[in-house]
Amino acid sequence: MIMIRAIVRPEKVDEVLSALMYAGFPAVTKMDVYGRGKQRGVKIGEITYDELPKEMLLTVVPANEKDFVIETIMKSARTSAKGAFGDGKIFVSAVDEVYTVSSGQKEV
Amino acid sequence: MKEVTAIIRINKMNETKRALSDAGIYSFTARKVTGRGRGKMNTLLLKGAERGYEEAINQLGAGPKMFPKRMLTIVVPDLKVPVVVKAVIDVNKTGSPGDGKIFVTPLLNAARIRTMELGDKALDENGETAKTQTNEV
Repeated sequence: MIMIRAIVRPEKVDEVLSALMYAGFPAVTKMDVYGRGKQRGVKIGEITYDELPKEMLLTVVPANEKDFVIETIMKSARTSAKGAFGDGKIFVSAVDEVYTVSSGQKEV
Repeated sequence: MKEVTAIIRINKMNETKRALSDAGIYSFTARKVTGRGRGKMNTLLLKGAERGYEEAINQLGAGPKMFPKRMLTIVVPDLKVPVVVKAVIDVNKTGSPGDGKIFVTPLLNAARIRTMELGDKALDENGETAKTQTNEV
C-alpha cells in the first residue's frame, strides 16, 4: 500500500474530492494546514504572507493504483492548464501495514 | 522505528488514551481531521456515473459527508507496533463502518530536541523519561 499526501488550495478541495470519488477512491482524510513554498509565501506590496492556508488530503491506495490517483489529484487541483504557484505538492510514501478497526483485520 | 497513524472516532479518544498508557505507550500526537471512508459509497450511483448519466455524476460530486475524526500519530520501536495496533483495535472496535483505519509506515529517524538524542533513544518507550513521568501522574 502507498500513502499519498496532497497539499492543495482550500478552494480546490471540493473539486479534488469529487474527482477522487468519481475515480473510485472515496476514502480520504482532510486536515487544515498552513505553510509556504519555495516562493517564500506571497508578497503583496510591503507585506509578506508566509503562512498560507492550505488543505492536506491523506489517502492510502494499493501500489498499482498509485499513478492513477496522483494523476487524478494533479488534474483536479491545478488552477489552469498551465498551473500556477501555490497549487500545492503531492508526497508519496510507503505503508507497511493497514488495519481496519471495525473488522480488526489486516488489509492486503 | 515505525510511525503508527490511527484514525478513530472522537468519542473513543479518552478510552484510547487510557488503553495506550496501560499498554506502556505514553507519547503520541492527536489532531482533529475530517474524512470519509469507502463504507458510505453508493455503487448504483457509481455505475450510473460510469455510463455517463449526468444526474448520477452530479450526486457523486457532492460525495458522502466528511465526518469529524481524530488522527493519532504514534512513533514506536518496531517491536512495539503489534502492541499499539492491538490496543487501538481492542478499544475502538464496535463492528460498524466508521471505526477507523490504522496505517503503519516506516520512519527513518527521530530526534529528541531537549537532549539531541537520535534514533531509538529519542523514543519515550525506551528511555527513563517515560517512567519518571508516569510516576508523577
